[in-house]
Amino acid sequence: MAATAPSPTVAAPSRIDQSLADRLAAIVGARRVLFRPSELLTYTADALPSYFKQPALAVFPGTRDEVIAVVRELAARGVPFVPRGAGTGLSGGALADGVVLVGLNRLTRVISIDHDNMIATVEPGVVNVALSRAVAASGLHYAPDPSSQAACTIGGNVAENAGGPHCLKYGVTTNHILALEVILPNGEIVNLGGTDGENEGYDLVGAFVGSEGCFGIALAITVRLSRNPEAVRTLLADFMSIDAAAQTVSAIVATGIIPAALEMIDQATVRAVESSIYAAGYPTDAAAVLLIELDGAIAGLEHDVETVATHCRANGARTVRIARDEVERTKLWQGRKKAFGAMGRISSHLVVQDAVVPRTKLPEVLARIHHIGQTHRVKVCNVFHAGDGNLHPNIAYDASDADETARVHIAMREIMTLCVDAGGTITGEHGVGLDKISYMELIFSPDSLAAMCTLREVFDPERRSNPGKVVPVHSCREWHMSPAARPSASA
Amino acid sequence: MAHVARCATLGVGMTTSTVSSATDLRDRIRDASARALPLRIAGAGTWLDAGRPVRSVESLSTQSLSGIVDYIPGDLTLTARAGTSLAEIRQEAGKHNQWLALDPHGGDAGTLGATIATASSGPLATAFGTPRDLVLGIEFVTGTGTIARAGGRVVKNVAGFDITRLMTGAWGTLGVITEATVRLHACPQVDETIAVSITGDAPSVDRARQLLRRLPFTPYACEVLNAALSNSVIGRAEPIVLFRLAGNLESVAAQRAALVELGQPFDISPEAWSTLRVAESPMAASGPRGETGPIVFRLSRHPSEIGTTWTEANRVVSGISGALLHATPARGVVRCIVPTTSENLARLGATLDAADSKRIGERLPEQLWAAAFRSRVMTGIPARLKSAFDPRGVLNRGILGDAT
Repeated sequence: MAATAPSPTVAAPSRIDQSLADRLAAIVGARRVLFRPSELLTYTADALPSYFKQPALAVFPGTRDEVIAVVRELAARGVPFVPRGAGTGLSGGALADGVVLVGLNRLTRVISIDHDNMIATVEPGVVNVALSRAVAASGLHYAPDPSSQAACTIGGNVAENAGGPHCLKYGVTTNHILALEVILPNGEIVNLGGTDGENEGYDLVGAFVGSEGCFGIALAITVRLSRNPEAVRTLLADFMSIDAAAQTVSAIVATGIIPAALEMIDQATVRAVESSIYAAGYPTDAAAVLLIELDGAIAGLEHDVETVATHCRANGARTVRIARDEVERTKLWQGRKKAFGAMGRISSHLVVQDAVVPRTKLPEVLARIHHIGQTHRVKVCNVFHAGDGNLHPNIAYDASDADETARVHIAMREIMTLCVDAGGTITGEHGVGLDKISYMELIFSPDSLAAMCTLREVFDPERRSNPGKVVPVHSCREWHMSPAARPSASA
Repeated sequence: MAHVARCATLGVGMTTSTVSSATDLRDRIRDASARALPLRIAGAGTWLDAGRPVRSVESLSTQSLSGIVDYIPGDLTLTARAGTSLAEIRQEAGKHNQWLALDPHGGDAGTLGATIATASSGPLATAFGTPRDLVLGIEFVTGTGTIARAGGRVVKNVAGFDITRLMTGAWGTLGVITEATVRLHACPQVDETIAVSITGDAPSVDRARQLLRRLPFTPYACEVLNAALSNSVIGRAEPIVLFRLAGNLESVAAQRAALVELGQPFDISPEAWSTLRVAESPMAASGPRGETGPIVFRLSRHPSEIGTTWTEANRVVSGISGALLHATPARGVVRCIVPTTSENLARLGATLDAADSKRIGERLPEQLWAAAFRSRVMTGIPARLKSAFDPRGVLNRGILGDAT
């Protein structure tokens, strides 16, 4: 074994040439290979309009066999690649900078559904909400519900360990993935996890979920389905101060009742939503609203609803409204889920953060975020998963204004540092990707980052899959085993 | 303690020492690595003595690496050193009407680190999942003697690759957990334990599963006990389904009413759950090579096949007097506890080998590992992980099989 880790593979544009394009076209069909810069424009960004990277080539296999053939062809040629689902990510994770982009959104087959055991096996390109629709008739759904669920794919969700409002009660993606069939970057196919009760040995499913496309491509994903709740109650409480709303969150969490969702939307966001086509009827004069959902068996649910409403009022809620029917509930949720889209009306660019803080720190952190915004004269909008402490402070701005852009970036870094200092983390559900890679050293020591590099190299020793993401490259370069622990040359 | 028993079976003298800090542990691992001295890593020695064959001459216990580091009740998270006992966590969290919803078999004397390292869970897994669902972050020392952290102290976190889950259930073979942050839950308003008598045949066990599948709620726990285990846990020598129902008053009343479909429920002391967790402890120690404690293993299939798994478990232990069985219908698992005798070992060697269900050894004499359990050779990604995180094979060598 070498004393040092292999040096990271550098994208070699010379290897991504017409001959590769021709070979890939022979596998997937000429229409499914994009090689001209004008054709690749769509794929230069994800849903975070901050980073633009041009892939050298994009290929769109349509079947499992085509994915395998493509990955093996890339392996044979030593070409780096980036797997991509629907491109709805918010961290720049699915951008291919001068390398090959492998689009998986054509693999949309639900392979099998086992109603009795409440599991389904799907291809990676199945859209999140399409899976829930496919199992709706049996009273089941797939619980993780990122706001982009109408477009994002299960494969992308696995890569990012995606969350969503209802993850407060039901858990994030990793809690719902039972087994994976994966093609490693070297073309080897491995099966991780299993569905027949208990699994022994290393939790390789756990390691793969959230690996942001750096460990290979999932060919088949077996998910746990959840029963549809017997009843759902959605409450909207509005507050005249953000602090009161934040205190209410802590009070609800302390009751032991776990809401299905507990979301906070501040005034700036409410106004953006209410002036858009997604208007949900949120009061625009409130400092913040809480969108709270309780679900489960009918018996006992009203009691919990009353307990939550009582805590809202006791903490200063001006009104507490309960959605009367499914139409009103859908409308209340649409406002929340389309909030990022609504902000598009304010400015051309948007930075989205995803830090998580301990829930007891919410009032203090929110107050300081407001202060940071004022100091740097940028408008911070907060719309987030308050029950988890998962903040999404967003700043809408005009990137053509250099001065404003500079102030936005300073404010963002201060907000991130604030959240980390409060005992939090840099990303709760969006992933590190490109966007937060520079923050990784705020929360992890070089040794911790090096351990991540070690894990990555087990799956992808050449680091060809999604190069340059998640862990800063220099952390890998610096990774040397302690001399004492290094095996002898003959070992 | 039981690792001494392992020494007896291995026929070598094993020394046990403790570590006082993560840096102390790091130095010990570096030293062991330099001397190519394999270490057996243990917590309180209640689970890692499970009989998995480990080749080592020195045992290192993290038990004195203990104490709660950080606990903010409002965050429902708690950080403790690996050697902290579950009992201490239970006591501290209980002061704030909170709890760690993990009830691994063996009781609360076990340590947090070992619970996570072995991914041990108990009946509460029906509602709360296993350690992988409750651990938020860890500090660990790798086989190369590097102290690292993964995850964090908040309830939601996707920063970096998920080494927390990789280490959970890795039996200390990739790194030694020195500290962990776990998610707590608030105690429910009502927490009731009831039982329903059943016939104990496969269809009656499957009826319990079908009911769970259909009901609009998930009980905290649901275990099917055979007559022998029921007798030892609640003093009634008949098969039962034991339920733990929790929530508000109205919810629990409705849950109770819904279970009538299975039979007339009767109230049971909640002590039944702690008794169940240590059901194996009264079994006499009489192994042919001086082993202590009983033989414990689990059989597993899809939950929908719980009837088949139950039948198979009964077949595997048929003719063994006093065999204790309990099934977790929601998880498709049947746990079997059998006294360690020469006859039982011989019988199980044959019957287990013929069983079609997935077999998971929990506490087995070495001869049974060899006779009836899966290949002890690690290949593919597991082997690569082992050689990447513990290149000299210092940590719990062999416990999950040998890397090729």
